[in-house]
Amino acid sequence: MAHQAHAYHMVDPSPWPLTGAIAALLMTSGLAVWFHFHSTTLMTLGLILLLLTMHQWWRDIIREGTFQGHHTPPVQKGLRYGMILFITSEVFFFLGFFWAFYHSSLAPTPELGGCWPPTGITPLDPFEVPLLNTAVLLASGVTVTWTHHSIMEGERKQAIQSLTLTILLGLYFTALQAMEYYEAPFTIADGVYGSTFFVATGFHGLHVIIGSTFLAVCLLRQIQYHFTSEHHFGFEAAAWYWHFVDVVWLFLYVSIYWWGS
Amino acid sequence: MFRHLRTLQQVSRRTLSSTARRQLENKVPVKQKLFQEDNGMPVHLKGGTTDALLYRATMALTVFGCGYVLYALIDAALPKKKD
Repeated sequence: MAHQAHAYHMVDPSPWPLTGAIAALLMTSGLAVWFHFHSTTLMTLGLILLLLTMHQWWRDIIREGTFQGHHTPPVQKGLRYGMILFITSEVFFFLGFFWAFYHSSLAPTPELGGCWPPTGITPLDPFEVPLLNTAVLLASGVTVTWTHHSIMEGERKQAIQSLTLTILLGLYFTALQAMEYYEAPFTIADGVYGSTFFVATGFHGLHVIIGSTFLAVCLLRQIQYHFTSEHHFGFEAAAWYWHFVDVVWLFLYVSIYWWGS
Repeated sequence: MFRHLRTLQQVSRRTLSSTARRQLENKVPVKQKLFQEDNGMPVHLKGGTTDALLYRATMALTVFGCGYVLYALIDAALPKKKD
């Protein structure tokens, strides 16, 4: 059996980049087919392929790290850089939507009535459900930090409990936000107010769901003894992502919900 | 009757580990042995039959999807004759 004379990870050939690329092709073309020809088959096929790719690709990374020991310190450093760069790209993604919001709200056009919120729009009271949502996410930031310290101190039961609580708080936020969407007196079609509100908060909500899923996978891994007190980067990546989601919400709350009302 | 319940409680506490609740056994060493076996299998197939089935299903959808998207796009690009 050949042994490597370096600490880096030369991965086995994998089919998942190909299947992922085809999934992206099917989803984008499928979107266009849906818009023009009212058929969702292609898009759905793309989504299924995306889910299969994500499941198998990330399953393989867990195998390579936890079961095969390929995640040496230099490899882990690379993974850290990767996660930081990815989150940075997401920050820029949200920056665009904040730019759109401030562009429209700082100089409201005559068509809107020259005011913000525009004439006819009843904004949500920032001190009702949105404030509760803020408390929920801030609390989840505390519980996820509790989880990290529990893992580092080898407190298995506490780590499981605090991580479960974090996920429940995330689900609570999603449920509250879904209810707010349903009950809102304005829609996405209500001019630029509706567009900026629902696109910014909608993408944020999607990221809460993604973050909650990432944390749930970490919970399953913690239960199955994957994490050690010294080596638990998968969890750290999930916690970084979760803090990022929390910070985006704080900006959304202050800008759109509070200042924007 | 209560003595029997207490005995049951003590027995279950002794046979499982530190808590009376059901606890999961650490299967990581078993998995490490499986995935470090020198059998030349790539990591995406090294888990066994389920891996192969899932891979085949994914690849089948990929190939079919490729064909379908080409058909759908070519069909969308061709002018439709109105009767």
